[in-house]
Amino acid sequence: MKRYWPYLALILLAILPLVGISSYTMHVLILVIMWSIIGMAWNVLGGFCGQVSFGHAAFFGVGAYTAGILYHHLGISAWWGMPACVVVLIAVSLIVGYICLRLRGAYFALATLALGEVCRVAAENMVWFTQGNLGILIKERTWVGKTWYYYVILLIAVGSYIFIKRVIASKWGYYFVAIREDQDAAESLGIDTTFYKTIALCISGVLTGIAGAFYMNYMGYIDPGIVFSLSDISILTVMVVMVGGVATFGGPTMGALIMVFLAEIVRSTPKIGAAHQTIFGILLILIIIFLPNGVVGDFRKIVKFFKPKRTRA
Amino acid sequence: MRHFTFVATVISIFILAICTTQVLAQEARFAIPLPLTGTNAKFGEIEKKSYEIAMEEINAAGGIKGRKIALEFEDSQGKPEISRSIAEKLIDVKKQPVIFGEYSSSSSKAIAAVAEERKVPYLVVTGATDDITQQNYKYVFRMNPTNAYYAVGLLSLFKEVVKPKSIAILYESSDFGTSGAEDMAKQSEKFGMKVLVKEQYEKGAVDFRPILSKVKAARPDVIYMVSYVMDAALLMRQIKELRIDANLYAGGAAGFAIPEFIQNAKEASELVMTATLWSPQIKYPGAVEYAEKYKKRHGDYPSYHGAEAYSALFVMKDVLTRAKAWAPDDIRVAMKATSMMTAFGPIKFEDKEGYTNQNFMDTLVMQVIKGKHETIWPQKYASAKYVYPIPKWRERN
Amino acid sequence: MAAQVELFLQTLIAGFLLGGLYALIGLGMALIMGVMRIINLAHGDLMMVAMYLAYWLFTLLGVDPYISVFVVVPLLFLFGCALQKFLITPVMKVESILPHNQVILTVGMAMVLSNLATVFFTGNYRSTPVNYASNAWYLTDYWKNAPIELSLSMPWSLSFLCAFIITVALWFFLTKTDTGKSIRATAQDIDAATLMGVNTNRMRMLTFGIGSALVACAGCLFIPIYYLYPALGKQFTNIGFVITVLGGMGSTEGAIIGGMILGIFESMTATYVGMGWAPLGRFAIFVAALVFVPGGVASLIRRKRFGK
Repeated sequence: MKRYWPYLALILLAILPLVGISSYTMHVLILVIMWSIIGMAWNVLGGFCGQVSFGHAAFFGVGAYTAGILYHHLGISAWWGMPACVVVLIAVSLIVGYICLRLRGAYFALATLALGEVCRVAAENMVWFTQGNLGILIKERTWVGKTWYYYVILLIAVGSYIFIKRVIASKWGYYFVAIREDQDAAESLGIDTTFYKTIALCISGVLTGIAGAFYMNYMGYIDPGIVFSLSDISILTVMVVMVGGVATFGGPTMGALIMVFLAEIVRSTPKIGAAHQTIFGILLILIIIFLPNGVVGDFRKIVKFFKPKRTRA
Repeated sequence: MRHFTFVATVISIFILAICTTQVLAQEARFAIPLPLTGTNAKFGEIEKKSYEIAMEEINAAGGIKGRKIALEFEDSQGKPEISRSIAEKLIDVKKQPVIFGEYSSSSSKAIAAVAEERKVPYLVVTGATDDITQQNYKYVFRMNPTNAYYAVGLLSLFKEVVKPKSIAILYESSDFGTSGAEDMAKQSEKFGMKVLVKEQYEKGAVDFRPILSKVKAARPDVIYMVSYVMDAALLMRQIKELRIDANLYAGGAAGFAIPEFIQNAKEASELVMTATLWSPQIKYPGAVEYAEKYKKRHGDYPSYHGAEAYSALFVMKDVLTRAKAWAPDDIRVAMKATSMMTAFGPIKFEDKEGYTNQNFMDTLVMQVIKGKHETIWPQKYASAKYVYPIPKWRERN
Repeated sequence: MAAQVELFLQTLIAGFLLGGLYALIGLGMALIMGVMRIINLAHGDLMMVAMYLAYWLFTLLGVDPYISVFVVVPLLFLFGCALQKFLITPVMKVESILPHNQVILTVGMAMVLSNLATVFFTGNYRSTPVNYASNAWYLTDYWKNAPIELSLSMPWSLSFLCAFIITVALWFFLTKTDTGKSIRATAQDIDAATLMGVNTNRMRMLTFGIGSALVACAGCLFIPIYYLYPALGKQFTNIGFVITVLGGMGSTEGAIIGGMILGIFESMTATYVGMGWAPLGRFAIFVAALVFVPGGVASLIRRKRFGK
């Protein structure tokens, strides 16, 4: 049964637009799917390889701007951003890796955080290149309705999921986990940790960047404050994965569902809306304390909590 | 079995969520997107309160075509992508036939793009960046003057009274700040004013003294700042502290035009001028009454954004009364034909000088005289005489 | 020429004063990081809480912010101890795949704090307009024919002085008192300290409390020269960890020097490169420090001391 539920979920998602849901719901779903891609990408580096990055906004933003700059300066369709950003993001990941991967644990986290912010400030200041805070606006988006965007992102999500699953199941996946568990032991066993960490980083970066390019196409408007945002992108990525389940396959999707969907609903509720960050902060704290491996990772704990307790008569 | 429960739970959460969002679709009122939290929350609040005052007055007079208006406010948190989602929600789910509202330039821009795409008319109330109405959008109308025209009043004052030869421009790195600075730079060239310094800073900067020292070394005639709220106060305080003597300190944004500026900068705010779109003393019909009513209720005079919001609802009333039906295209036709006077000023949407559906009106200059904002220019609107030249910091007490 | 000299000196003074304030912020974070190995991403928000307390004391009771230090600091000390005891300790015990949970915990705390402030106090900017806010001492007042004009801001200098006094007091505390030494022992090697009879749990609690108290101090000293809004925590948290890394994790002398360096560097960047780039300069120096001098300034001092 466990094997089949991803397929069930996929079929359900695929037929939803045909069943007829409101454009607004579709919008939220598109965001959920996009975030699950970002979450899965982060998971490769963070959950499986153990390098916690607080700067994924850098990759997301670079992907979005690749698409945006191609549109704005070269006049070609922003969709070319997706293939283009594979190349761009590999380059960026290599640079980031060169600077940060020599650092461990908390230092790495902080360094990535800093790099994310560096990208943001750079984008704000390089007005001749990125339009700075004036942002990039696509005058005519490819499709007015959402349905095609929905299928595109679903396709990308499915592709990413399969790809990541294959990678983790392969020898590389074992190397990643070995590095996560004990980097020095792995190194002493002859695993070139820097090389594999870089690979994980590249995969993570490219996938996040593709999500960013999609964002540019879908939303039609970006600026540095949106796509390079520390709290809205970088930290949200970490939360999505942590809440959903670190180092699991379904975790990021679950996390995206909770964080994005729940966020929309809470935000729309009139009285509570303003306090939604408080609610999420508390949710985060509770999950960290009681479900450190996320909803999916610690699912057994949740089940145990709800199961009727058997007592000796 | 365990896994089945898991799947069932997931699916039920899913369905529940979808149903909730569908339910949210069934209300029929006007929802206005505004930044009620986040960095622009202050102005979002001012606009919200102004909309509410206008709503009460309109309802007391019978509503629109006999129907009473109800207003709802959607918080965009000052983020354009959320404004965009709200606009889409209003159009697709709530089926609102017209949108109006939003405060910041980037949010207004995002909504304008959606409105044009979906062919639903959108009235821009506050967003000032020029390109919103330079795209040839048929469905987007703007009642407030753009950045390029913001400082028209100030520039005429320069031309006739101050006659400066050089200028230093400091601006916050937002959409509004950048375009305001660019426009001032362009106008300066036309005027023969040399731009000695043009620097952006990130909102919320702690210490302006390094950049101010650079300005001091350049010795400009005019220091022009496009800043909001606290940056404006901090800039003037630090200018006073560094004793930078310019012939004139001028603001190009709301930060200098609100009462908080005087409260926070204290003596440093004295004799600072600012370009503005409206003032609580101006003689447009209903302006003074609105300003006094707002002050009585909320403690302080509203900024010009409040006047914009207040008048926007009256514009909507006028448009909806004239529209053949409350459907997007009919409303658009009615809006295009608007020609009325409001507490904010005259409203008429014209296509000229590269702008589409843009309202053009006089802009004013205020000056802080004896701790109070007075309108000083153009002279036909003035409530007090301008003070120029201004004494050096050392000589002031 | 005189104008250039004036510009340079004025920038240097600004950087110096800014650095003093930064050092105080970084000091608290460095202490916490050294003892508990926690990156406290809620640090700036603790400062925000302190500033709100100082603000309400000023607005409701007319207490000058410099005086309210004596009230706010002990309150934040207790608050910090409570946070440590009830939130952080449980997380440190938890078994999980990634050991970064405490960082995420502090992120959660930061969110809750800043959002609660927005809900209760609204997003409005607040300030404590004291009369001496833009007063300064001017060089030409004392040296009548000076070729250049330099100004030294009164409140900034006062804050710098207080920061200096507090740093000295902290140094005394850490080196001369028993509790201080126990804290340093816990930072150096927690197991050895436990074996030597140090109550490490209590030391951790105290450290977080002291760290919070330090940043509360910075907040009170800062509110007359700046202003207050719920989201201001974030930028000071950033400054805090840049200084901590620059100075060397856990080193108090390093944090002080790191703060000064950062302050001067930022001012110089603002003047000579462009103010928009100043935040980037901050992060650039951060990354450079991480990469080239991972132990921070402290390691440089250590190397010199032991003659490597």
